[in-house]
Amino acid sequence: MIKIEKSKFSVFIQNLVGDFTVFAPVGEGRQSAFDEVADAESVNTALQNTVQSPKSIFFPQTEVLFTYNDGDVQIPEAADKPFFLWGVRACDARSIMLVDKVFGRAKQRPDDPAFEDPYWKAKLDTAVILTLACNEPASTCFCHWTGDGPFEQAGDLWAVDVGSSYLIESLTEKGKAVLERIENASPAGKTEAAEIDSLRTQAESYLGDLVDLSELKDRMKQMWDDPAWDDIAAKCVNCGACAYACPTCHCFDVQDEGKKGKGKRIRLWDACMFPLFTKEASGHNPRGQAADRVRQRFLHKFSYYWDNYGESLCTGCGRCIYVCPVNLDIRTVVKRFLDIDAAV
Amino acid sequence: MVKMLRDTVRKLFDEKKVDMVIGWGEGTLPLSATPVFIENADEADTLIWDERCSNNLAVYLTKDKRHLVKSGKKIGIVVKGCDSRSLVLYAVENQIKRENLVVIGVTCDGVIDIKKVMKRTEGKEVLDLRIGDKDITVGGRGFETVVAKKEIISDFCLHCAHPDAPVHDLFIGQPRPANEKADVYKIVDDFEKLSADERWNSMVESYSKCVRCYACRNVCPSCYCNECFVDQNDPQWIGKSPEITDTLIFHMGRNMHVAGRCVECGACERACPADIDLLLLNKKIAKEISERFNYEAGLDIDEKPALASYCENEKQDFIMG
Amino acid sequence: MKNAYVPIPMIVDKIGIEDTAKTLRTFDLRFVNDADCEQFKYLPGQFCEMSILGKGESPFGIASSPTEEGILKFTVNRTGLVTNEIHYLQVGDKVGIRGPLGNWYPVDSFKGENVVIVGGGFAFTTLRSLLIYLLAHRDDYKDITVIYGARNPELFIYKDEIESWKQRSDINLHLTIDNPVDGWVHKVGFVPAVAKEVAPSSENASVVVCGPPIMIKYTIPVLVDLGFSDERIITSLERRMKCGIGKCGRCNIGPEYVCIDGPVFTLEQLKPIPDAF
Repeated sequence: MIKIEKSKFSVFIQNLVGDFTVFAPVGEGRQSAFDEVADAESVNTALQNTVQSPKSIFFPQTEVLFTYNDGDVQIPEAADKPFFLWGVRACDARSIMLVDKVFGRAKQRPDDPAFEDPYWKAKLDTAVILTLACNEPASTCFCHWTGDGPFEQAGDLWAVDVGSSYLIESLTEKGKAVLERIENASPAGKTEAAEIDSLRTQAESYLGDLVDLSELKDRMKQMWDDPAWDDIAAKCVNCGACAYACPTCHCFDVQDEGKKGKGKRIRLWDACMFPLFTKEASGHNPRGQAADRVRQRFLHKFSYYWDNYGESLCTGCGRCIYVCPVNLDIRTVVKRFLDIDAAV
Repeated sequence: MVKMLRDTVRKLFDEKKVDMVIGWGEGTLPLSATPVFIENADEADTLIWDERCSNNLAVYLTKDKRHLVKSGKKIGIVVKGCDSRSLVLYAVENQIKRENLVVIGVTCDGVIDIKKVMKRTEGKEVLDLRIGDKDITVGGRGFETVVAKKEIISDFCLHCAHPDAPVHDLFIGQPRPANEKADVYKIVDDFEKLSADERWNSMVESYSKCVRCYACRNVCPSCYCNECFVDQNDPQWIGKSPEITDTLIFHMGRNMHVAGRCVECGACERACPADIDLLLLNKKIAKEISERFNYEAGLDIDEKPALASYCENEKQDFIMG
Repeated sequence: MKNAYVPIPMIVDKIGIEDTAKTLRTFDLRFVNDADCEQFKYLPGQFCEMSILGKGESPFGIASSPTEEGILKFTVNRTGLVTNEIHYLQVGDKVGIRGPLGNWYPVDSFKGENVVIVGGGFAFTTLRSLLIYLLAHRDDYKDITVIYGARNPELFIYKDEIESWKQRSDINLHLTIDNPVDGWVHKVGFVPAVAKEVAPSSENASVVVCGPPIMIKYTIPVLVDLGFSDERIITSLERRMKCGIGKCGRCNIGPEYVCIDGPVFTLEQLKPIPDAF
């Protein structure tokens, strides 16, 4: 672990900009997001977290799969520089890994590279992710429920903001290579370790009561026909605000734009809340009712993904709670299914 | 006020005048209330009413929630002025039977604009909120600040002409008559001063932030088509990506479709996760309609909607030529 | 690395019209590039996304058998935007396909067994693939029973081949239509009832059932009554799909993705899933 003075932060970013496309938190309020930065001055270091998740770096809302011109198909060239992400929270770093389980090698065909998503992989495999410990989790944060924590180490590099400086530790070879580029860094010692411990304790104290999700997978399934779903659906207006804010929601649509002979095939974010998501050409819709779609969203997060990958597809980042126009709080939904006192 | 509301609702259940009451309850965030669906007298105590109760609850009577109305249940609904106008709109457009609803009006002085609050706290998270008579105390980690209500109430609420439900069955408190002096369309002043190019540019800039989550449409009580043109795929009218051309067609399609029907509640704007000032264009259109046809949506069940009726003496000056 | 989103170029080789209303057409496609043909290995039950650039894609079960080399056969019902466009294709036109996608009927585990095929309407596509495959390896399998129903005689697909199957002594073929029609010499009645009447033995046998959801739903209890165990009742499901490779998230039934965990499932797999049919 090394220590760099915050006054050297701009040198750090500058050092990377030449070889990486650097993404960091920028903007304020609901406009806050991970965006490309050219210098350290554009980085908003005061955010608890960005309201828009960093998933769009690897999975843009719209992405060209290929262009076509009279049958000639062209795949867009990959980005010329690898990505460097500064200041990702542990929850978000983990969310990228959860989506990677789907977009990477398919568990059903582990030996077949054809079942890997080449667009996602090209960006992620070369990227270096620096996770910044979360000194001040928000009231909407519940990462401890989903097996995470504000000081969990994730990504290629892990950093802690200790006031006047950043402490940075490499977790992977990719991370180590970046760390070696840093000049004017001093090694971190016992004092710093103690500082980290006290910050961690403080950060964890900001989190609410712990809820154990291990029963949830089966409970939600057993309660398939439970009126609880109707109560939840009653309030939900079936928009896609939660799904688009969510760092792990990864469903997409594929559309052709352009004329028949010339145009592009794109993929774009889609959401299981929309009726068209599953509506078939015949008119039949297996999830035709709003309640069916609400149930799908929560079951996908807490049951189906768990069946497939042994953990929940939620990292407790709390963005959906923040953006929901009717305050349908995912924590309340979870508690309802675990019989913990909570009215939806 | 809250006690009166709860007592009134309890009485409605006791007298079997309602099967369900839709109102607001305590939310999970300091700045949020949440819609609640009450089915017995005991639950009346979950009701709240204050400046956080921003959702227009009329939306729960149409769209995917239409089964509530169709069930034949007698439904009570708690409304602000703007919300009650949605109910009038529904009655005019034959979406509900007025007599099946028990409309409970509450005195409204406007709802909180979270953007304004965040500006006051310089982006710091609000962990505590205490609402007084004239002031609101906002607190978080390491700060506490007292703000006058009018400083964090939505602009359009501050200039509302019909804060107290013009149409209601019961009213909590004393309903005030329409505020004739209200500068209802004030929020469009700055926009109107812009040149055509400037307006276009400001719209492109603003709507570029849209992520096409359709929260605005889905919380809008006036947007209740069974299938929105945006969702149709055979034929597919517009592209689905947040590309500005398609995004503008979506929003302007919506603007035109709610023209003369928008009750100016601002639900669209509050729901927007990208903080787009979505009410602006709707207000501008409402202003045009008000000036041309002397019509405001949702005030009179017996009045024909401006854009669904024709009078020979209407101004024709928009016809070029 | 192979990019699974990019279609393989194909050329329309032959078009067959299956019904007088012309809502069902069968397209034989051949590969533009020999290398693609070489690499395209599939088994009965798998499907492809057929792609009309500018209009989109739709999934179709492969109706040809891997034993019919050099071509891929698809029968397309005209229902929506993409299928409409596919119906406009002419011989010689270019079209793209992505695949083979999904899993397949367990033809290897059928070896040495009796196989029962139950089909309805134009869902007979992958069942044709299966039947042709079984016939091409006829010695590997014991009795082959086919129960195939359609609303009326017009709506059977692959009518010429049905005629040739009738001539063979190594297939027990039972055709049925919903209501009597003059000149019809085969069975009349819904598929579940006919399956009950034919009562194929479940001894050392597997059954593959494919058709409209309602047909599957009512045929399964009949098969269970006949003694077929859940793991030997095999069906193929359909859902709206986009990516076809388990990423886009719309075709799931419970935790299973129809596009990659299916489309072929055993009743044993589907039983715990509430919304499978």
